[in-house]
Amino acid sequence: MGVGVGGACAKGEGKVYAGNLNVAAKRARDIILGKLKLGEVVDWATTFSLWPVHLVTSCCGAEFAATWSPRFDAEQYGALPWISPRQTNFIIIEGTVTRKMACALRITYEQMAHPKFVIAMGACALDGGLFYNSYNVVKPWEIVPVDVYIAGCPPPPEALARAILDLRKKIREKKMASNWLREGWRGDVEYPMPKEDPCKWWQP
Amino acid sequence: MSLPELGEEIRVRLGVLAREVKVAKGFVEVVTGRETLREVAKTLKEMGFDHVKSVTAVDYPKEGKIRVTYHASSFLNEELSRFMVGLSVDLPRDKPVVETLYPIWNSVEFMEREVYEFFGVIFEGHPDLRPLLLAPDLAEKKVMRKDFVVREESIYEGVPHEYK
Ligand code: SF4
Repeated sequence: MGVGVGGACAKGEGKVYAGNLNVAAKRARDIILGKLKLGEVVDWATTFSLWPVHLVTSCCGAEFAATWSPRFDAEQYGALPWISPRQTNFIIIEGTVTRKMACALRITYEQMAHPKFVIAMGACALDGGLFYNSYNVVKPWEIVPVDVYIAGCPPPPEALARAILDLRKKIREKKMASNWLREGWRGDVEYPMPKEDPCKWWQP
Repeated sequence: MSLPELGEEIRVRLGVLAREVKVAKGFVEVVTGRETLREVAKTLKEMGFDHVKSVTAVDYPKEGKIRVTYHASSFLNEELSRFMVGLSVDLPRDKPVVETLYPIWNSVEFMEREVYEFFGVIFEGHPDLRPLLLAPDLAEKKVMRKDFVVREESIYEGVPHEYK
């Protein structure tokens, strides 16, 4: 008597018929993603389906366009730019992020499907670049967690292609996608919360 | 028609309305007062300057004035389309209020909004005077005036700790 789903019974814990459902689900996840090496398949598959969303914030967008042109052809890495943030999992911040654009960036990021990855492109996205010390420019890492930075003003298309390759390597080495499947969040990044509302939309 | 000829014609047409008509390099500059701005603009439009290419302002903190400049040119008159006329008006810095030129040149609408948000110049009678590019809290600070001080950042300020 008294064996509930709430998990009062330590002996039967993890058994689906008697114990805690959450614990059982975690054990199943661990077996499938850990022991059976299915996690590696998930990571491998994710590297071939990176769908960047179009968010051209500045002039680096020209290089972004060139990267997907026939000469450099970034589609060979499995990355295809897509229009709707709902159907993408990857965002490339293309240059300067002004305060109003920071709101758009955060909203786009929130709408994307998990697991999501971010590349910050250009000197402007690192520390302001040309617009360093400006009253209207924010650093993108204050808004979203960034995985790969690219230096240059603008970075050439080769650098962007290289960054995508680096991101793919990072996904497989750090098991970003399968860790997200297992834990429900990505433990390898800190999710920043903007300290103040960049363009004061919170105020009535 | 050459540039000095155009300057002479403008001088004759405007008469006492203009405080100063100057032929600068590549364009004619007209300086006028706040009260006569509309009439000068109307005269220029009758001459054939049918649109405004840019509205800008210069801040002179020592003299305590802000100079708003309209650059007008022509699309339809081929001869005038080679020239540009700058129409300037001096406003006191502590109360920069001027009548809008929107009824005369419709293309000034957005550009006057820009001057309003960056310099705080108020255009009376403008149909929709609100900030265009900046967030409202920044526009209140009148960021392009010379006494607005940008906060100096150090290079490593706020860098995520894993890169330090
Ligand atoms: S890094 Fe250079 S090219 Fe890129 S957005 Fe900034 S100024 Fe433009």
